[in-house]
Amino acid sequence: MRAAAPGPRAAGRLRRALTEPLLPVAAPALLAVAAAARDATVLCWASVGALAGYALSGSV
Amino acid sequence: MWLLSGLAAPLPPAVRTGAIVAVAALGAARDFGVVALRLPQNARQIPQDVLMNRPRAGALQFGFELGTGVRTYVPATTPYVLALGLLLSQQGPAATLLAGAAFGAGRAASAVLAYLSRSPDRAAVVALRLPLLVKGASLSVLTALTWLYLG
Repeated sequence: MRAAAPGPRAAGRLRRALTEPLLPVAAPALLAVAAAARDATVLCWASVGALAGYALSGSV
Repeated sequence: MWLLSGLAAPLPPAVRTGAIVAVAALGAARDFGVVALRLPQNARQIPQDVLMNRPRAGALQFGFELGTGVRTYVPATTPYVLALGLLLSQQGPAATLLAGAAFGAGRAASAVLAYLSRSPDRAAVVALRLPLLVKGASLSVLTALTWLYLG
């Protein structure tokens, strides 16, 4: 017996969760702090760059 | 930014390090509303006719103006912290380019997510999350730079 495919509502909820605007802050934030802890200066500045770019999300 | 970083060369390393952390702290204080500080920006929207009249060249112009902040609103302080931090820390050209590319990727991520979300309410959702997003980014930048230079 095959499992039923997720309905459009479930797909919509999944899409909303995966595109949550706060999610992309978490990854570079963790990366920046982890890079700083390991003295990885270049990676830390790259992560700070990504955070700075994403922080302009509301800018039009 | 890499070329301009030579201007910070006469400063002793300890002063530059302290200044980087101080700038990040000031940026976080501004984003949390603790201090009021006007920052240089050309705060206006790019007119729609840029895209209407010349679709391809207009898209390039729109992307350039929006991406570089030549003519747009800048609601967060972290881009200024990034620019001043790179200037003061005197990273090499490769690191500066990588940080710039990451800035562009972060800038583009917002548009990509808006496209993928297929939501007509996307602008409202982003506006709702924006204060937390800006504060989270600012606090992360302050934590990372403090750890990197004072830890």
